[in-house]
Amino acid sequence: MKSIDRRSFLKGSLLTAAAAAFPASLAVAAAPAAPQPAPSPSAEPEIIDTNVNLFHWPYRRLKYDDTRALVAKLRRHRIAQAWAGSFEALLHKNVSGVNARLAEECRANGGGMLLPFGTVNPAWPDWEEDLRRCQDVHRMPGIRLYPGYQHCGFENPEFARLLQMAGDRGMIVQIAGEMEEPRVHHPNLALRDMDLTALAAALKAAPHTKVHLVHFAPLIFISGGQVSQKARETIRNETGAFFDISRLEGNGILGRVLGVDEPLGPAAVGRLPLERILFASHAPYFPVEASVMRLFESPLSQPQMLAVMQGNARRLLASARRA
Amino acid sequence: MQSTEFAYDPGRYGLPTRQELIEHRIWDTHYHGLMGGGGMAQHRAMMFYVERMGIERVISLDIGRGVRSESGGPGRPPAPSQPERERADQEELELLQRERDRVSGIIRINPTYPEESCAMMDKWIRHGPCIGIKYGASGAVKCSHPNNDPIIGLARELKAMIYIHTFMVVGGTPRVPGGGSRGAESHPADVAILARRFPDVPMICGHSGGDWELGARAIRACENVYFEFSGSDPHSSEVDYAVNELGADRIVWGGHGPSRSFATELSKAFDADLSRADRMKVLGGNYRRLAAPMFRQKGQPIAI
Repeated sequence: MKSIDRRSFLKGSLLTAAAAAFPASLAVAAAPAAPQPAPSPSAEPEIIDTNVNLFHWPYRRLKYDDTRALVAKLRRHRIAQAWAGSFEALLHKNVSGVNARLAEECRANGGGMLLPFGTVNPAWPDWEEDLRRCQDVHRMPGIRLYPGYQHCGFENPEFARLLQMAGDRGMIVQIAGEMEEPRVHHPNLALRDMDLTALAAALKAAPHTKVHLVHFAPLIFISGGQVSQKARETIRNETGAFFDISRLEGNGILGRVLGVDEPLGPAAVGRLPLERILFASHAPYFPVEASVMRLFESPLSQPQMLAVMQGNARRLLASARRA
Repeated sequence: MQSTEFAYDPGRYGLPTRQELIEHRIWDTHYHGLMGGGGMAQHRAMMFYVERMGIERVISLDIGRGVRSESGGPGRPPAPSQPERERADQEELELLQRERDRVSGIIRINPTYPEESCAMMDKWIRHGPCIGIKYGASGAVKCSHPNNDPIIGLARELKAMIYIHTFMVVGGTPRVPGGGSRGAESHPADVAILARRFPDVPMICGHSGGDWELGARAIRACENVYFEFSGSDPHSSEVDYAVNELGADRIVWGGHGPSRSFATELSKAFDADLSRADRMKVLGGNYRRLAAPMFRQKGQPIAI
């Protein structure tokens, strides 16, 4: 089985994909600022992390909430690129300021590995301008929505319009599920429930939009109820939505949802197609180790690991059209 | 693929290799391989992951199926018939004998029924292979209730390990941490009340109370209370925080499989900025220290 060495990966993924997706100015900004280490003799592929967040979690300080510390931590785990949202997006109303700070932080302290994913709240006035700025001003490849916090239901026509517009622009739309386990929410926090039936309908209505359901596993796989079960199956079987591994839970769960011959057998939650599963850590809220170790807990083959580590994310990123 | 084969080297990804995990001497003190309807087949499947992740020993929390209210009821499998219970008991006894080098067991007691709980302890601990008890969330009283005194008294006599499920689920009106917990679900504050009545008896506050920031504070002053993190999402720096507040000598690790992955649970310990010696305490050393007298009694001395 052929694997990709560090130099090939950096050249092939970070530079080529970034250059293909963005104007030359950002490709330069996104290029590694520091000299690159020598190629790895063992040729283990590096990882694209599709979900980290910068700045401060509203409810406590996190060990790696300093961007440079986070970047160093990601590098220790062989993560060469990370798609970064902002914790400020959860509660701030000045979304434009949130996105500008995110873009600047990625540029200034991201070590050439952070790709900013700004946010848009379709429940608020003139969100279209925020979307435009994300792409035209900040050269972001996509946006990240936090529907639980942003109080815009999937049934809202503005949500559907945002999906359409982002898709027309060739932008990736990341939709964050639960940011935190509800059992331990701060008591003052009252988040809106997510209607998976409405989400499934909205996704089906915008088939050209590349959607990644970020940190979404409990909603997709565990929540009960016949209606949501049908919605889950619709999302899995009738849309092209991407999923990630940060909230897949249970022994050997990654292999079990992939249909690998696991001792515990197939996951009760059903199968997911390999080509739609991305690596994501949810750092710095989650330990980076959790998702990296999840790759190894299942007896995956090299092609399977490579697809999750970077191949699928590279393909998704490449699909984001040049602005 | 064999359990010990990996497509890539974990060591190249900032993770401990399997050999390094083995060298940490990890004891999974929260093993649910026998829980639910999976039985022995599930346990055998689970051993693949136990082996793969270098776990030295697992402590099953599901031996004996508990006292009467632990089975059946809404949302649970129907209570087994007496012949079914006896057959399952026999299988578990044989398992604990056959795999005694890597599997130990504790039994579920229920303080709603203290006499029956103590009878179970006599059967499974005094006269059987088990090494301790687990408090769940079933029944009508929490671990702080006076009903618990004969149970803890007997545990002290037997030198039995004591694991207490705790979880502060946010909820209620007004919403408060713990306001959404089930009726008999203990909180760390309940453990603290019990621990003060039995200051010479070590006990484990399970699941870090769910809310580890508040849970650690609740038991901080009770030096006979240990803190375990399994069964909830991994939060970066939770173990750092607990070690800072309680000391590395009071932290215990559990895996909570098969519903939680070893990746999730191990990440909590490997995220923490610990010395190797302290990480080894967290991952097994502390539990071994507590359990050593019981293992000696069972004729199975262990190296701490």
